[in-house]
Amino acid sequence: MPAMPMPATAKPDALLSIRSVDKHFGTYHALRDVSLDVAHGEFVALLGPSGCGKTTLLRCIAGFLSPDSGTIRIGGEDVTRLPPHRRPLNTVFQHYALFPHLSILDNVAYGPRRHGVPRGEALERAREALELVGLDSAAGRHPRELSGGQQQRVALARAFVNRPKLLLLDEPLSALDLKLRKRMQIELKHLQEKLGIAFVFVTHDQEEAMSMANRIVVMNRGVIEQVGDGRAIYTRPASRFVADFIGEANLLPGTAEGDAGVRLAVGSALLPHLGADTRQRYTAVLRPEHVELLKEPEAPGLITDQGFVEDVIDTGGQTVVTVRVGEHLLASRRLGMAGEGLNPGAPVFVGFHPGHVHIIAEPATHRSGP
Amino acid sequence: MSAAMNRALPLLAAPVAFFIAFFAVPMIVVVSSSLMAGGVPSLGNYARVLLDQYHWDVLAATFRIAGLTTVACALLGYPLAYYLVRVVKSAALRRTCVILLVLPLFTSNIVRSFGWMVLLGRNGLVNDALVGVGILDRPMRFLGTELGIVIGLVYILLPFIVLAVGNALAAVDPALEDASSDLGATPFDTFRTVTFPLCLPGLMSGIVMVFTLAVSAYVTPALLSGGKITVFPMLIFQQYSTVFDVNYGGALSMTLLVMTLVLVGLAGWIGNAGATGRKAQ
Repeated sequence: MPAMPMPATAKPDALLSIRSVDKHFGTYHALRDVSLDVAHGEFVALLGPSGCGKTTLLRCIAGFLSPDSGTIRIGGEDVTRLPPHRRPLNTVFQHYALFPHLSILDNVAYGPRRHGVPRGEALERAREALELVGLDSAAGRHPRELSGGQQQRVALARAFVNRPKLLLLDEPLSALDLKLRKRMQIELKHLQEKLGIAFVFVTHDQEEAMSMANRIVVMNRGVIEQVGDGRAIYTRPASRFVADFIGEANLLPGTAEGDAGVRLAVGSALLPHLGADTRQRYTAVLRPEHVELLKEPEAPGLITDQGFVEDVIDTGGQTVVTVRVGEHLLASRRLGMAGEGLNPGAPVFVGFHPGHVHIIAEPATHRSGP
Repeated sequence: MSAAMNRALPLLAAPVAFFIAFFAVPMIVVVSSSLMAGGVPSLGNYARVLLDQYHWDVLAATFRIAGLTTVACALLGYPLAYYLVRVVKSAALRRTCVILLVLPLFTSNIVRSFGWMVLLGRNGLVNDALVGVGILDRPMRFLGTELGIVIGLVYILLPFIVLAVGNALAAVDPALEDASSDLGATPFDTFRTVTFPLCLPGLMSGIVMVFTLAVSAYVTPALLSGGKITVFPMLIFQQYSTVFDVNYGGALSMTLLVMTLVLVGLAGWIGNAGATGRKAQ
């Protein structure tokens, strides 16, 4: 099992509390023993590749899917078997799902109307919500007359107009182009802080998760691999998968030497590692920006090794130099045009600080079984 | 004009020629013959049609039968379409159901209407069953009644409305229904405010199709009327086939056509007014 820094019992103050949720689709195991707490006003990102179970988890929270086992509580109330319309939350759908036959104002007023708010007041609330997303001028138009970004905002207004404590967002920005997406990320974050609603945000884009969320839940094959803030997940990934999925990583094999530490394949340095066990396999994670290219074979405080330039990719702002050290490839990312004079095949020295190496113990039996 | 346009023109010519030859020309022939009496232009045929109360009675019966048929088709067809599209999960079963639904369309109208004559007879299966179950004390008369004709027409026209509604239902994005229930709507509210309005255009096209086919139906009413009920197409058929008065027959045809168009247009107009009148429910 991967590291699961979740307490087994629910925190009393958690807004959303998911316990041991399992979900199968036929023989496909979509969620395996998933537990997660979300606090009031928190911005949590569910991050993972497609098929990792993040959307399934979201749909279980919203009530569109029913878990095979486990419980989901919102504000202390067990909602596991409640239909979606009786759950105190709202959802922003991936493709917005705006009602094409209703005007923008009526789309947003739909929620309050369903909760028995009189028509006049519902429209008033809808207008306020549209104002918050800067679309009050479009109130009379129909969804098809709006751009993707505007539809996105309407979907958002429609979801928070009911004043839920929890808002679920299913890859809400994935249909937007890059520039608009960046702008919406900032707007969404500001809006979340202003409204004080807890957001559970599904995305496969790690940058998006990093830039918006207080806490990131990394999922893979229906399992939560790691929960933590962006920095913790980047600097101390709990598994090979997390290290590889979040940013770029050099993954180097290491071998335990007694309980003294782990010896790296590159630089043949012995790194201290508590509880090192010779029966386990170890992987050292080294981010490309921490790998330096040296002219000398030695540098104070650095672990060094010799290699040959494999390939240089210059992208203007930064350069990625791949160096072959023995049988391993090591990527080094340098700011600026650092590739000058480095031609494929040229000998070069690499060096990195031992403090930048993060060691992951891999489970003896591999988890991704069948 | 661009080269692509030049190449496209001959391709367009075929359907345009087809349309002119088989739709426009016959129409012009019927209209012009209806405006001739005794070899000279005249509105006399229309006067004969419109000034005779008998024609208005037949027209009323025709529209009554077609209207009832349409209502029955909508009431039966909508749930059936909903069942096929939303409830049946297995694609194979759905395909089988659709084939079963469409298959009768491949057999002749005459054969199927004869079938209903047998079924609806005084000692037919329907009466036997109704009396046997105890719903009726004694056999009731279906043949020669408007109800009998409606039953026959509903049977023949039901597939059209099911297919039209089914297509519309299948095109409704399930995410919209998810969104509706997410916003607090009960399943019934979701159906009333999202699903139904969104497949209304499909239902309307099905209704128009069934109504116009029912208005112009000849074989089924002729066989099931038992000579006791006359619908407008029978009058037209008599003029063309027995009396050979193409001028008078043309005037009857045009009358039925215009009246039907007026009714269909009226229904569409009311439907549109209803749609735009619906707000933030």
